Amino acid sequence: MIMPPRLRKFALTAHVTCSVGWVGAVIAFLALAVIGLTSPDAQTVRGAYLVMEPAAWFVLVPLAFASLLTGLVQALGTTWGLFRHYWVVFKLLLTVFATIVLLTYMETFRFMAGMAADPSADVGVVRSASPALHAALALLLLLVATVLAVYKPRGMTRYGWRKQHERP
Amino acid sequence: MADPPPYPDTGDYGGTPRWVKVFGIIALVVVLLFVILMFTRGPGGHGPGRHRQSGDTGAQAPLSSATEDHTPSGLGHDGH
Repeated sequence: MIMPPRLRKFALTAHVTCSVGWVGAVIAFLALAVIGLTSPDAQTVRGAYLVMEPAAWFVLVPLAFASLLTGLVQALGTTWGLFRHYWVVFKLLLTVFATIVLLTYMETFRFMAGMAADPSADVGVVRSASPALHAALALLLLLVATVLAVYKPRGMTRYGWRKQHERP
Repeated sequence: MADPPPYPDTGDYGGTPRWVKVFGIIALVVVLLFVILMFTRGPGGHGPGRHRQSGDTGAQAPLSSATEDHTPSGLGHDGH
């Protein structure tokens, strides 16, 4: 079902807001991860790893799902479709992959928060390069998705081509 | 994504563009790496289990073993 122009504009605004918000949240996490990795202050290091888990549940996960959902609405509610153009397919795959990795990584956030909360654990044990690495890769992935959305590189899938020629 | 497709209809299916093939290969390699690391990385695969010692079923890892995985030099052990 193709959305009327006003609704389409609103849905696009929602999608851009959620997706850009997700990018911003990942940048904030990257900063937090670098602080945890490099700060000389033990309390700051522990605080960084402690706050990651709840912040991810309250910000990263909702934004990931909101971006995915609004993207699906955009694709299905416009003439672009979900499987008609390669750039839409790739963007969908990137978003789904990033969301799955994020959900898998939540357990690691929980584990690291547990380590940070343990006063007997040395601060060197609490530090981990993993969040910085994951945030950097997530940022790269989301930027690729953004570039695809802006440039919309040419290329129609076989399904899309068939659908286009089915139209009266 | 809201604008209608701007591409002109040439009448015939032009095949798969080169950028799609390049993207496809990169995506395949990344997914394969992810899956391999997910299932081969010690106890627990890709998750907090990798921070634990072999044979440890739930208790926190002793500091001596955990340090290796958490210091910046342990980057290779922490990633995917």
